[in-house]
Formats: sequence, C-alpha cells, structure tokens
Amino acid sequence: MLDHILSILIFFPALAGVFGFMIHKDGMRAYGTAVAAIEFALSLWLWFAFDSTVSGMQFMENIPLVPAFGINYILGVDGISLFIIILAAFFTMIGIASLTDTPNVKNMIITLLFLQMTMIGVFAALDAIVFYVFWELSLVPMLYIIGAWGGPLRIYASVKFFLYTFAGSLVMLVGMLFMAYFFYQATGVWSFAILDWYRLILPESFQLWLFAAFFIGFAIKVPMFPFHTWLPYAHGQAPTIGSVILAAILLKMGTYAFIRFSLPLFPDASVFFMFPIAIIAIIMIIYTAMVAYAQEDVKQVVAYSSVSHMGVIVLGTFALNVEGISGSIFLMIAHGVVSGALFLLVGVIYDRRHTKLMSEFGGLAHVMPRYATIFGLMLMASVGMPLTINFVGEFLSLLGFYQQSHILTLLAGIAIIVGAIYMLAAYKKMFFGDVTNEKNKNLPDVSKRELLALIPLSIITVWLGIYPKPILGPINTSVESVVQLMHNKATTQEAKSRIPSVITITHGTQASAKEAH
Amino acid sequence: MLSPVNVSLESLNLMTLAPMLIPIVGALFILVIDLFKSNLDRSLYVMVSILFLLLDFGAVSDAAGVFSKDGIVLGVFDVMLIDGLALLSQFIIVGASIFFIPLALTNKRFHETSYPEFFALFLFMIGGFQFMVASDNLILIFVGLETASLALYTLIALHNRDKSFEAAVKYFTMGALAAGLYSFGAMVFYALTGSVEINQIATVLAANSYADIGYVLIGVVFMLASFGFKLSIVPFHTWTPDVYEGASSSMAGYMSIVPKIAAFVVAMRIFEFLIHSGVVWLEIVLYVFVVVTMTAANIWALVQSDVKRMLAYSSISHAGFVMAAILIGTTQSNSALFLYWILFSFTNLGSFSMLWISRQKELPQGQATDHSFERFSGMIKTSPIAAVVMAIFMLSLAGLPPFALFWGKVYMISSAVTSGYTVLALIMALNSAIAGYYYIKLIVFMFMKDPVENGTVETIANSSTALKTIVGFSLVGTIFAFVALNPLLEFVTSFVYNSGY
Repeated sequence: MLDHILSILIFFPALAGVFGFMIHKDGMRAYGTAVAAIEFALSLWLWFAFDSTVSGMQFMENIPLVPAFGINYILGVDGISLFIIILAAFFTMIGIASLTDTPNVKNMIITLLFLQMTMIGVFAALDAIVFYVFWELSLVPMLYIIGAWGGPLRIYASVKFFLYTFAGSLVMLVGMLFMAYFFYQATGVWSFAILDWYRLILPESFQLWLFAAFFIGFAIKVPMFPFHTWLPYAHGQAPTIGSVILAAILLKMGTYAFIRFSLPLFPDASVFFMFPIAIIAIIMIIYTAMVAYAQEDVKQVVAYSSVSHMGVIVLGTFALNVEGISGSIFLMIAHGVVSGALFLLVGVIYDRRHTKLMSEFGGLAHVMPRYATIFGLMLMASVGMPLTINFVGEFLSLLGFYQQSHILTLLAGIAIIVGAIYMLAAYKKMFFGDVTNEKNKNLPDVSKRELLALIPLSIITVWLGIYPKPILGPINTSVESVVQLMHNKATTQEAKSRIPSVITITHGTQASAKEAH
Repeated sequence: MLSPVNVSLESLNLMTLAPMLIPIVGALFILVIDLFKSNLDRSLYVMVSILFLLLDFGAVSDAAGVFSKDGIVLGVFDVMLIDGLALLSQFIIVGASIFFIPLALTNKRFHETSYPEFFALFLFMIGGFQFMVASDNLILIFVGLETASLALYTLIALHNRDKSFEAAVKYFTMGALAAGLYSFGAMVFYALTGSVEINQIATVLAANSYADIGYVLIGVVFMLASFGFKLSIVPFHTWTPDVYEGASSSMAGYMSIVPKIAAFVVAMRIFEFLIHSGVVWLEIVLYVFVVVTMTAANIWALVQSDVKRMLAYSSISHAGFVMAAILIGTTQSNSALFLYWILFSFTNLGSFSMLWISRQKELPQGQATDHSFERFSGMIKTSPIAAVVMAIFMLSLAGLPPFALFWGKVYMISSAVTSGYTVLALIMALNSAIAGYYYIKLIVFMFMKDPVENGTVETIANSSTALKTIVGFSLVGTIFAFVALNPLLEFVTSFVYNSGY
C-alpha cells in the first residue's frame, strides 16, 4: 500500500466525494469529517514512513500516460512537499470539522473533498503536465466555493480569481511546452518529467525567457505585487472555509512551484532576477501592510497581512541558499497554520454578528476571554514573535537573504516590524476598552466545536516555535540537494558565486536552526 | 471509327468507392421504404441510418487496413484517393454522424425528424462529404462539396422556426458564393497548370518554380475566400451565428464538426504545398487570418446573451485555432489538427446535445431565444446532474485539464512551439484565457444564480434515453480522453505521416 500511498492520498478524497452524493445531508458533516480525518491519518503515515535522511524523491509512482508525447503520471515527495501535503490534509479536516451552518452543506463538503484532491495532486506531481492538470483543476472547486457561498460581490470575485489565475497559467503552459521541446532537442525524446528536466542545462538567454513564462503563472498564484489584486476580492467575498483553504494551502502552490520549478531549472535566471524579485517582495511587505492598516474590515486586515507574509516567503526563496529556502518552506507551513487560524477566528466572530467591521466591536476581551486569548496568540505568531512558529521561518528567510544583500534584508526586517503595527491596532480596536456596542454584551465565547479546530492550531504554533527540528530537518536535507543542483547547473560566474555549494554550508544551517529556537 | 474503350475492372480499384456508396445506397433505401409504406416511426429510420453508417465505418476501417499495408491507393481513373487524411477525416465524419443521428429520437416530436427525407438527405450529405475528402481532384471535391451542402441547406430549412428559413437562405446564398469563388480558383489553377489534380498542380508549379506567381496568388485568393466561408474564418464568418441560431441545436452541433473537418482536409491539401513553396505572402495572410479569427470570434463570444450564439462564436474561434495547424504545416501540427478535431467532436457534440435537451416545443411569451443564459440560471438546483454535465463540457471547451480539449490544445500549441512560432503559441494561449470567460459565464449562471422565479423553465424537457446515451458517450469521451490519448496520437500521427503531410 505504501507503494501507492500518494495516489491513494490524491484520489481517496475525490472518490469519497463521489460517494458523498449518495449520503443524506444530515450525515454529511460527519461523513466529511471522517473522510478528512482518514486522509489526515494517511498523510501522517506518509510522514512516519518518510526517510528524512534521504534528500531525493520517495514513494515514487510512474505510470505512462501518453508515452508518445512524454507525458507520464509521476508522483513523489521529498522534504519540500511532504509537510505541505500534511498541511493540506490537516486544514481540510479542520475546515470541514469547523463548518458552521452553511446552506447546502452537502455540496460544500463534496467540493472541499475535490479541492483536496487537486491540492495534494499539485504537491505530489513530478510531471509538469500532471502538475498543470491539478494546478488548473484546483480553480474549479474554488470558483464554486467563492461563487456559491460568498458575499454580495461573490460572482465578480470568483470570476476574477478564476480568470487571473487561468490566464497566468496558460502562459506557464507555453513555458512548459518549450521546456519539453528543449529536452527533446537535447535528448531526442519528449519528456515532461521534472526530474528529467533537472538534468538539462540551458544557456542563460533561454533561461530568462522561460523563467519569465513560469514566473507569470506562479506570481499570480502567490500573489505577488502587482498581480495581487484578485486576492482581496477573493478573500473578502469567500466564506470562512474558502479563505482558510486559500490562505493556508492554495497560495502555497505558487511559492512551492518557485522552489520546484524556477530555482532548479533556471539557476542563472534566478540569480539574474533575484534583486528585482526581492524588491517586489519588499514592496509587497510594505505596501500591503500599509493597505492593511487602512482597512475597516478585520478579514481584509488578515487578507492583506497574508499577502505581506507571502512577500517574506518569496524573499526567502530567492535568497537561493539553504537557510533562505528552508526558511521560506518552513514559513509556508507556519503561514498556513497562522493565517488559517486567523481566518477561522474571523469566521467565529462573523458567525455571531454577521459583520466583520472592526468598528462594530470593542472590548471583546471582557465578553469572550478565551477567544481573545487565542486571537492574541495567533496575532503574536503572525507578527513573528520569538517562540512562535512564524518567527523561525521569518528569521531563517531573512538570515538567508542577508547573505545576498544586507541593505534589502534590513529594509525587509524593518518592514515586518512596521507591519506589526496594523495587527496590534486591529487587536486594540476589537478587544480592548469597554464594550460599547449593546449587541456585543452577550456574545457567547468560543464553542467546543470551534475549540476543536483552534486548540490544535495553537499547540502547533507554540510547539514548532520552540522546537522546529522535526520539520526543519527533512526540509533542510531536500533543500540542500536543490541548492547543490543549482550550484552545479549554473553556467555564469555570477550565479556560481551567488548560489553557494552546500558542502561548506551544512554546519551553518544547523547552527542557525539552533539559534532559531 | 472509335476503338472500344478497354478498362479492366481491377485497375478501377472500386473498393476506393465503397465507403461513399454505402450511405448513398442507404439513402435510396430509405426513400424506397417510404414509397412502399409511409408514416413509419422515425426510430426505424434512425436505426436504418445507423446501420448503414456502421457499414460505412466498417468500409472505412477496411480501407484503413489497406492503407496501412500498401500506402496511398488510387482508384476510379485516379480521381479517388485513399490516404491518411481521407481516412482520418472519414472516421470523424462517419463517427460523428453515428453519434448525431440518434439525437432525432427526442422526447418531444419535432416535425423535421418525422420525414424520411430528413434521413435520406442526411445520408446523401455524408456521402458528399466523403467524396470531398477522398479526392485530390478539384472537380470531384467540388461535386462532393455541393452534394453535401445542398443537402445541408435543406436539412436546416426543415426545422420549423421562423429563423430557420432565414438561416437556410443565408447559408445557401453564402454557400453559392463560396462555390463560385471555388470554381474560379480552380479555373485559374487549371489555366496555369493544365490539371485539376492537386498533386499535379503542385508538381507543375514547382517545376517552373512558380513563374506565374501573380496568377497563383489570384487562384489562392479565390480558394482562400471560398474556404473562408466554409470554415467560417473571419471576415467570412458572418453567416455562422445566424445559421446556428436558426438551425436546431443538434444540427448546429453537427455543422460545427463535420462540414469543417471536410473543409479542413481540402484546405490542407491545397495550402500545404503552397506554404511549403515558400510564398511568404501567403504565410502572412494565413497568419493574419488565424490570429484574427481566433481573437475576434472570442471577443464577440464574450458579449453574447444567448448560449447557442456564444457556442457558434466559440466554434469559429476553435476553427481559427485549428487553422493554425495548416499554417504551421508540420507533421505534428497536422496530426494535432485531427487529434484536436476528434476531441472537439466529443465535447461539442455533448454541449450542443445538452442545448437540444433543453429545447422547448414552442417559444414562451416574452422570450426571444431558446437558449438565453438566464434560462440556465440555478440549474444546479433544478436539475443538478445536467448542470454538472454541461459544466464539464464547458470546462473542456475552455481547455481546462484533464478534459478532452486540453490535450488537443497542448499538442497544438506544442506544435507551434516546436516549429518556432513562439508568438503564435502565446497568442493561442492568451486566446484560451479570453475564451475562459464566456464558458465560465454559463457555469456562473448555472451554479451561482438562483433559478428564474416563475418556475416554468424546463431545462431537460426534451431528454430521452437516446439523448442521454449520446450525452453519456460524449461525457465519457470528454472526461477520460487521456486514457485513449496515446493510441489515438500514434494512430493519427502514423496516418498523417504516411500520407506525406
């Protein structure tokens, strides 16, 4: 069974979703939770069976799909994708378990299960076309979730989300076809297998164009400035569960794809574009923090802070060394946990008051102390307090980029601190002071069902903040091989010097990991 | 004293004629049945047609066997030609027709399908298309084209809505004009080379190294305009949406598939050698046609308020997309054309059948068209399965993986990439993105809006077992296309390659 565990992980939820059509709607919530829990258990089993000393791909499956054109169904995980898969399974479970009174709950759960298939498919795929299939397919359930359960502007938001990402990924598809063609020219065989592509050394001029083509697809997904405009609409209109999944998992597809495709395939182009991208990342951090400060809707604050942190992830990725990339992957997990939790928390208050305007609240700490505590913890994590999960990732990302540019890192670091202001301001508006609004006087505190979702997230936030090694170890091992591959493949002198060979760096990484906790 | 003509039957190679004769015999058979006993149920005619088409399919497969053994076969004074293009397109023509004809078995009775002439004309039309693709003789192509077109005009006019007469007349006028242009183009080529066989024309032109390039270009212009009408290339497309709107949905779906593939094959035969002759001017013109057709049709489709007109524009855009294959002109692109069209047939047959299922007997008061977007509002609540099926067809047309047309698009764009048409590849990709919007629009109406208030809207009123079966077939073909992709690709590529394209 372990030989096919990735296929099982991908298709089990979808299959269960199909069976879900036959279940009565009263039992649907229990059914969905059970399916997602089994899926999560399977993903934990994957972790258990995963050999963290191995840097390469594990649990590989390879079935020819269109051999005449080099398309194969290839799956595999390494330390980079392992935890994102677990995260995806975890958040789908939490999301379904914490679903509140949603109309048409049956369709919602079936859609979520299909969405889970596409998400895990993206992170497990090792063939570009298979990757693309899942990448595109993930748009459909999300389109439906936003469009059918969202706010008043939901149709506009969902169509905008769909078209932006669809257009971007078509350009990426052209890039993929070019990659396969170059591989064909070099070897005489068509192949879309990513591991095959890794062996291909391209001249820098080709790399630049291909990098750009892939970049458009990924950057819209992340979303990077100035392609981010779909995101506030999507978050603003999506139901709680949609925002949670979007922030926790779907955005990670973009940053994950940078590490899976852009860096190892185009090392010279990555170095070439390193500073422009870093500058965009810093703009993302500062600009979105400023926009977040101006928001009146607490969900928009969380949405923009989410974009802001994605900027740090991008910065870490384009540090192009082990610390930076490991840090950014760790931060992807951390950001998933924290921003997912924050969206859930916003959902809690929205369920009670059906408004997300901060001006409607105030003094909630008196009325809902447990809620205020958990919110406070997640907010500290989001700001990047030491001993919380985000700190480890942000620290490593910045440490990584420090080796490339001191000034930009300093700017980014300050920006993160400044960014903390809006979170604290939002917290102050909502929780401190007296209860001024009559409607808030008798709000019930978090229920058991909500705690069921929030407590595990809180535990993870603190636990991995103090002791990140179980996750950071496997990530490091795989990232080292990626960086080494980039170093070996780089053709220009500039790239060779910017991308350090790993052998000398290993010790430093462990030291910095220790510093982090 | 004339000496007696002495032709041995063997040299005629009559087996090359067999596939076309079968539907014609079938048509005559149906007419004869009607002579002896009228007012038979339409299901009988449907089944008889299917039987003859199956025989036809068998004959084509038989010819395919001969082709893969012996290569290109000529017959009947060398006017008939069996090569890979002819066979592949006949597979599509006959195959799509087999799936199309049961659509006559609707739940409600429509008067056109209760005439036996409908089925006879239908079979004549198929014979005509088969003649058209299985020859490189310009005269025989013309005969086939006109046989098929005249039958098609009548089939459209049989649909008893006001707009269908308008559509038939419009189509007839345009078709007549196209026929005139075609014959003029053929005349120019004959005057230049003394032959009406395309390969002869190519040889002669190449031999004198395109000395009369001016006249060649005149011939090309006429041919291009003529095929522009048939393939609804912008700006010769103007009839298409109106005719699709006037024809019944099933007929419109059929028209978006079968006549086009026949025209594509002929266009491929004529333009391929011209493109390879290095006439730069022609390449530029084709390039412009391809890009404009793809893009403009997409933009018009964006603003349609009727699903059928939207699909009409979308099929123009698809035709432009596929026209790119002829421009690129490599084995890979020509294979991509057939692959694309096979996958497109499944999807488009499915989506037009879904429209056909939703056809009303009479147009209700205050409703201008049969298939406005509003009619599909909230379909997920009123008939959820139909909504999901329709959504899958739309996603496939948009080129969303893993549905059928995605693979066609990938292979087609890849063929552009491989032959250095990078900009064209990007334009194709961006056009797919634009197209995404209007396909999604229907999904938005079906899944995200509430059903129309009065509740009289019936979206699956016309369904019957036969229709559901056809939709089921198209659905399976659309979803699981990737399973059959490899054998299909190898089959298509070997046939195209062995025909020298």
